[in-house]
Amino acid sequence: MSMLAARVSDQHRSQDSQPLPRRAIPAGQSGLPRLLPPTAQLAAADPRRSLDFAAHLVRHGLPRFRGAALIEQAGAAGLTGRGGAAFPVATKLAAVNGAGRPAIVVGNAAEGEPASSKDAALLWFSPHLVLDGLQAAAEAVGARTAYLCLHAARRQSGPDLATHIRIALANRSAAGTDRASVELVEAPPRFLAGEESALVAIINGGAARPRDKTRRVSERGVEGRPTLVQNVETLANLALIARHGAAWFRSVGTADEPGSMLCTVRDPDGRVRIVETALGTPLHRLVWLGDDVQALLVGGYHGGWLAVGAAGQLSLSNADLRPAGAMIGAGVLVALPAAYCGLAETARIARSLALESAGQCGPCFNGLPAIAAALAAVAEPRPADHELANLGRWAGLVAGRGACHHPDGTVRFVASALSVFAGEIGEHSRGRCTAVRSDQFLPLHAAALSESDWR
Amino acid sequence: MTSSTALWYASRATGVVALVLLTVVVVLGIMVSRRGRLPGLPRFATTSLHRSMSLLAVAFIAIHVVTAIADPYVTIGIAAAVIPFASPYKPLWLGLGAISFDMIVALVATSLARARIGRRTWRAVHWLAYACWPVAVLHGIGSSTDLRTGWLLLLTICCCAVVLAAASWRIGTAIAAPGRALRPARALAAAELSSAELSSAELSTAGRQATDQRLTTAGAR
Repeated sequence: MSMLAARVSDQHRSQDSQPLPRRAIPAGQSGLPRLLPPTAQLAAADPRRSLDFAAHLVRHGLPRFRGAALIEQAGAAGLTGRGGAAFPVATKLAAVNGAGRPAIVVGNAAEGEPASSKDAALLWFSPHLVLDGLQAAAEAVGARTAYLCLHAARRQSGPDLATHIRIALANRSAAGTDRASVELVEAPPRFLAGEESALVAIINGGAARPRDKTRRVSERGVEGRPTLVQNVETLANLALIARHGAAWFRSVGTADEPGSMLCTVRDPDGRVRIVETALGTPLHRLVWLGDDVQALLVGGYHGGWLAVGAAGQLSLSNADLRPAGAMIGAGVLVALPAAYCGLAETARIARSLALESAGQCGPCFNGLPAIAAALAAVAEPRPADHELANLGRWAGLVAGRGACHHPDGTVRFVASALSVFAGEIGEHSRGRCTAVRSDQFLPLHAAALSESDWR
Repeated sequence: MTSSTALWYASRATGVVALVLLTVVVVLGIMVSRRGRLPGLPRFATTSLHRSMSLLAVAFIAIHVVTAIADPYVTIGIAAAVIPFASPYKPLWLGLGAISFDMIVALVATSLARARIGRRTWRAVHWLAYACWPVAVLHGIGSSTDLRTGWLLLLTICCCAVVLAAASWRIGTAIAAPGRALRPARALAAAELSSAELSSAELSTAGRQATDQRLTTAGAR
């Protein structure tokens, strides 16, 4: 396994204490990394080296499978979407291809999940692999136009990812291999902006809100045309399957969940690492789960908390995580130090998720604020008795009732906190809290204040 | 009764019916745009009623235009049905009729092709409805003396009153409703307030029941 201390800006690092010493990095996994440059090269850590298209072709070679053959290989490889939903890629490719009209392909790096930065890391270190995948997908579904959606806020800090990708595109156009035109689009830093119908809405010139699922994006998306939306990590995997085929892809991972996964790991000292690991890797090999860690958040803010003891027994696969109330999602792993109150942290995130509601569906924009307020009361000492009962009932009233999965994911996240931090709930009811720190550990975007924040 | 008077009667009658139908269509359209509900009907029924009534109105308007042109008593000409102010007879008032007819054709055509042209284009064109109705009413009042006296005058006044009331309701609710961007923040402020301040048992029960009520009645989008 390769543990890469990628150059990811981490503005949310805890600041009022000494950082804990770095933990030992486990031994490497054979055949990895696939998507990121080799660990040794990354030590130099200059993302500009990734822009060289000729060097990229020397490392990865030329694609062997194209069009229908590629769809077949993706199906045999068992490649699933890496944006969070883990939907089979071949099914999506075949649906868009089967629509029988000129299609559009969208590469999704909107990365609305505040705790994730693996898409940005992938684009910094392997832009050509993502762009290869975008071209391969466009060819497979018969698209002449492609979009690449970036997270707009990343432009603020340090060098500009959009400029980086533009240089990569310019280097490619000199080689003349690409058939589909690629346009860059910036998605606002909203939690839901990466949802595929929200992304389509942005490209169509609207606000970043999901739409209802009466019309599938694969039938009617950008400009009303059949649209394929794939996470950039999925596209990079597709580019590698086009070169090496399904059997190679399956050489890492489990039989049901093959391949590798980019994870954004937040250590208890607040540092962020981007890790490329095989699916099925035990969680304790990915993130420190010692005594100073009280719980592990898996799958981000639509995922779930795991108690450290339980997490130590599980591996990075949905087969393991789903029964435990979590999911891989977009590969977010956060180790919450024991010094923080898990309830207070969850309540703060739940409040932000309530404010990230698109304000379209009643159960979501009424229910999530009610849940967030009740959880905030539980996070305080001596909450009123009815708050916990309200939480349980309201969670049942909002799940499955939105145009998108925002209410469902938020309820999963809150419900997992109630069970994992049950001991802390008992302490709070007796007027105590075990936390020794009151600063904030989990990262968040700035809240939306007006309609313009959705555009 | 000669064929000419029959055509004349048919044209007037369909014109009056079209006025009533267009009024109903505009009011239903306002209901749909504000997600209003008619008593005893599910929300989607308002939409389909709006659609069916507008197609019915188009049928009446078609008969209205054809009979008016076919009536040999006055010379209007086929072109004047679509080209404003091209009629030798009452060019201004029939011109308004032609304008509203053109707008109705645009509204119906874009609605039928809505899936193809996209919601934004459709929506932009559909704003014409608010211009189309007054122009059609002016055409009715100006081109015939029927609407200016007796019970047809009463009907015209009623139609105008209903549309004015619906339009002011629409403007009022549009101003009062929080934008989508503010809905969650408003609900959160209310929830945090009831959680923090209404700590006595009966008040928090009231707050809980209010939230239960909102959640059980709120439909998915």
